[in-house]
Amino acid sequence: MAPDKQTIVRTNGKAPRWGMAIDLKRCVGCQSCTLACKVENGTPPGIFWMRVLEKEEGTYPVARKVFLPVRCNHCSEPPCVPVCPTGASYKRKKDNLVLINQDKCIGCRACVVACPYQVRFISEDAKGYYGDELTPYEAVSYQKWQPRTVQKCTFCVDRLETGLEPACVQTCPTRALVFGNLNDPESEIASLVRGRAHFQPRAELGTDPSLYYLT
Amino acid sequence: MAHEFNMDLTPQEEWSWLVAIDLFLGGLGGGLFLLYQIFGLSSAVALLSLGLVVLGGLVLLSELGHPLRAWRALLKPFSSWISRGVIFVALFLIFGALYVAPALEYFSWLPWGDDPTAKKTIGAIAGAAALLVTLYPGFVLAASPSIPFWNSPLLPVLFFSHSLMGASGVVFLLAPFALNGAALPAIRVVGEVLIATNFALIAIYLLTLRGSGLAAREAVRRLSEGALGWTFQVGVVLVGMILPLAVVIWLPSAAAFAGICILIGALLFRYCVLKAGVYVPFAMT
Repeated sequence: MAPDKQTIVRTNGKAPRWGMAIDLKRCVGCQSCTLACKVENGTPPGIFWMRVLEKEEGTYPVARKVFLPVRCNHCSEPPCVPVCPTGASYKRKKDNLVLINQDKCIGCRACVVACPYQVRFISEDAKGYYGDELTPYEAVSYQKWQPRTVQKCTFCVDRLETGLEPACVQTCPTRALVFGNLNDPESEIASLVRGRAHFQPRAELGTDPSLYYLT
Repeated sequence: MAHEFNMDLTPQEEWSWLVAIDLFLGGLGGGLFLLYQIFGLSSAVALLSLGLVVLGGLVLLSELGHPLRAWRALLKPFSSWISRGVIFVALFLIFGALYVAPALEYFSWLPWGDDPTAKKTIGAIAGAAALLVTLYPGFVLAASPSIPFWNSPLLPVLFFSHSLMGASGVVFLLAPFALNGAALPAIRVVGEVLIATNFALIAIYLLTLRGSGLAAREAVRRLSEGALGWTFQVGVVLVGMILPLAVVIWLPSAAAFAGICILIGALLFRYCVLKAGVYVPFAMT
């Protein structure tokens, strides 16, 4: 998954811009991405870096459920970054990921308020799912974030750096999630965005999200 | 776990009472220092203004997830209004203390006490910092594109005028103890003008936003109905503005009571503005 030399040539030397195309016609609301994210990132109870929203449309007998997977949009113009007073929230130059340096975060919540997608979270403590004591798995996975600092989807940055796709993408049974480099015109995601009707969430706010919903 | 679509216009829940109290105390402190400089009030008023800003800062520290890292908030003044605000507060505390110190007996030896140019310079910096302390919270909120009710250039003006009005409330309250008699009638007039100005500004603000997008309209609706509506209409408008204006005009001997009312209204104003921060809804378009 890390960009090879060929990719860099195809993108005219531009840094990759990781993004995700979400095919709303394929999503069946199974929430396996939600669970895969939890398992991979060890998020605490009540916090979901990625989740699938659902609502009913129409009326009986012509009614159906529609699903919308949501997570950090890794915006090109992220409103969460300039409001951060410490530089803890930043856009990484080498691949345009929006990340958080939790050692710098003071927990002022300015970025949580500024995010139009409401996908930044603060866990007040590091309680586990099963009482006061953490399970061995939680004890390890909770080292990925600090209590009282901001946390959010990183597109599984640790996996990306070892050449793997984000856990949610790998686990999606209907292939509704397509991850790739938006700056590479030959990538699957770029071709999907070119060829399919799509929208970017709340694009009118000027955030230029790296998430594209295919409709 | 299924989550419903965020179609029902939810308000932000991150910033509440503690932030409101911080904004209230910081605004009061900055505004009070300005009144102290404009009307030549006693040094005790200046000390109180510094104390209020320190107290506000302590409240804010208690709200932070990691208060020991708070020094890091000085590092991004070119992009973050919070960072700028921390710098304004620091400048205000330093230069405000330097300005008022020679007037205190214990520090009367300080050399700039007898140097009018140095004192004027320090006073100008302290005054400018105090002004910025009253303005910056409005800019912090107005910088948020996700909450249209805050995203208005009028908000910093509103915070500034509310800070001055709150400061006039403190002066009314302290008048028997810390004022020279000559300043009081003038401050009373300024207080009346400030209350009337705030009333007009709030009306303009709400009317302007009522005609804008869905989330802003919802924020205005929340300020006119339900528990928040009561807090705003009774606490901010009636108790915080109409009642003290009437008292100051028709019963000036009860100005201290008007001061208490103004302070209650000024605190509730911050709280209401924060709680009316409704996010832009998610739309599938």
